[in-house]
Amino acid sequence: MTWISKSITVFGGLLLAHACYSAQEHSALQSLRASTAALTSPSPAVATLPIDIAVETVVATLVILLGLVLNTRPLRPIQWRVWAGKVEREGEEGFIDSSGEVSRDYIGNPFRFLETRPGFIDIRKQRKEFADWVKNGGERLGASAGAGAQ
Amino acid sequence: MVPSLLHPPSQLSPAAALQLSQQAPAVLQSSPSTVSASPLSALFRTSETPDLWAKYENLLLSCLRTGDEVAARQCLERLVARFGDDNERVMAFKGLLKEADAQHNGDLDRVLKEYDQILKDNNTNIPITKRRIALLRSMGRVPEAASALVQLLQFSPTDAEAWSELADVYFSQGLYPQAVYALEEALILAPNAWNIHAHLGEMQYMAATATGAAGGSYNKYMAEALKRFTRSIEICDDYLRGYYGLKLVTSRVLKDAVKPTKQADEDEFTLPDTTTVEQLNELATAKLSEIVRHYTAQDLGWRGYDELEVAAARELLSKDGSAIER
Repeated sequence: MTWISKSITVFGGLLLAHACYSAQEHSALQSLRASTAALTSPSPAVATLPIDIAVETVVATLVILLGLVLNTRPLRPIQWRVWAGKVEREGEEGFIDSSGEVSRDYIGNPFRFLETRPGFIDIRKQRKEFADWVKNGGERLGASAGAGAQ
Repeated sequence: MVPSLLHPPSQLSPAAALQLSQQAPAVLQSSPSTVSASPLSALFRTSETPDLWAKYENLLLSCLRTGDEVAARQCLERLVARFGDDNERVMAFKGLLKEADAQHNGDLDRVLKEYDQILKDNNTNIPITKRRIALLRSMGRVPEAASALVQLLQFSPTDAEAWSELADVYFSQGLYPQAVYALEEALILAPNAWNIHAHLGEMQYMAATATGAAGGSYNKYMAEALKRFTRSIEICDDYLRGYYGLKLVTSRVLKDAVKPTKQADEDEFTLPDTTTVEQLNELATAKLSEIVRHYTAQDLGWRGYDELEVAAARELLSKDGSAIER
């Protein structure tokens, strides 16, 4: 889909450039005509842009807009249940932004802290559980995770 | 995927916590050891971000958990250098480090006395109050922890985390009505928390089944649990835990053939009629099997579920399937 929207944007840009060039040429021609006309008759020439150049400019702008709008990423859900369902169903994957990183404002379920309760953590129990995990074959897993981190 | 250091690490698996704490040397090296708080230095150096401090806090917790006390101490030193010794949050972290270091009960008593001393000077220090409660609970003095929690909630009644902790304390003692009440209070403060709705449903289901509660209270708890699970899937599409609970409750209600009793009280929520319960059961089964199928196939957009939860759902479905075959 992206190549369609990108080519639409490029096409709109070409149209706009063409309109600009035409307008510039037209005004150059007008001023030339005015300078030659001034020699023959004293009435000043009215410099108006031809209607086709004006139309081309407007159409080019609209085409560029269309291309840009088509190129945007899908919008985030704004309904609570849809958004919450996305958090549960897709996890981090659903919130990757255009740079390929997990979006900075992604925090998962914002109410998870009510179940994990970081203010009340029992650090001694956590340490003991971790030590048990290491004893029961966690070493191998830990070694591979360490190799991955380095 | 390596978990982010920007979120509190308390729910992570041991392997993930280990991965985090192994990042400690790199993180500590890459960030400056002291950040001056004076406005003059901010003119010349890149300014500090709140992220840095969140990182230090979470790193501290992970390192304490995995027993890497050197790195934990370094994180704490940097926090102290920035925020000072009398910052309430920093005080709580210092206490946490001492708790983790404690070898025997004497050390723990000493830490507890320090907490009491701090609270005597300033009894509105909420982080330290919470640490004291957690320490009491960890030392097995649960009734004291519960009364301290009630006191905390008296002067800070909008703390959803504390209500949730109180519910957990009561629940661990088997005091279901109190636990349900405390969790309902947490829900008042966080009405959109779908996981708390499901958690409350689980508690009520356990209260209904475990105690062998006869007649009225069984019906009441079952109806309430049904209500909570349906609410949790109402505010969160495809919520595995909600559908799991819904299936458990409806299967149980259908099996026991509970008759919906007419309640005199208008406010009381009663069980819906059998056809509605059957429909809910079918819906839950369909949704659960859909989730399990997509997760097993690793379809795009269905990979966010917890593996153990999906395994539990699969087991529940297979149990149900074999019951139908028989």
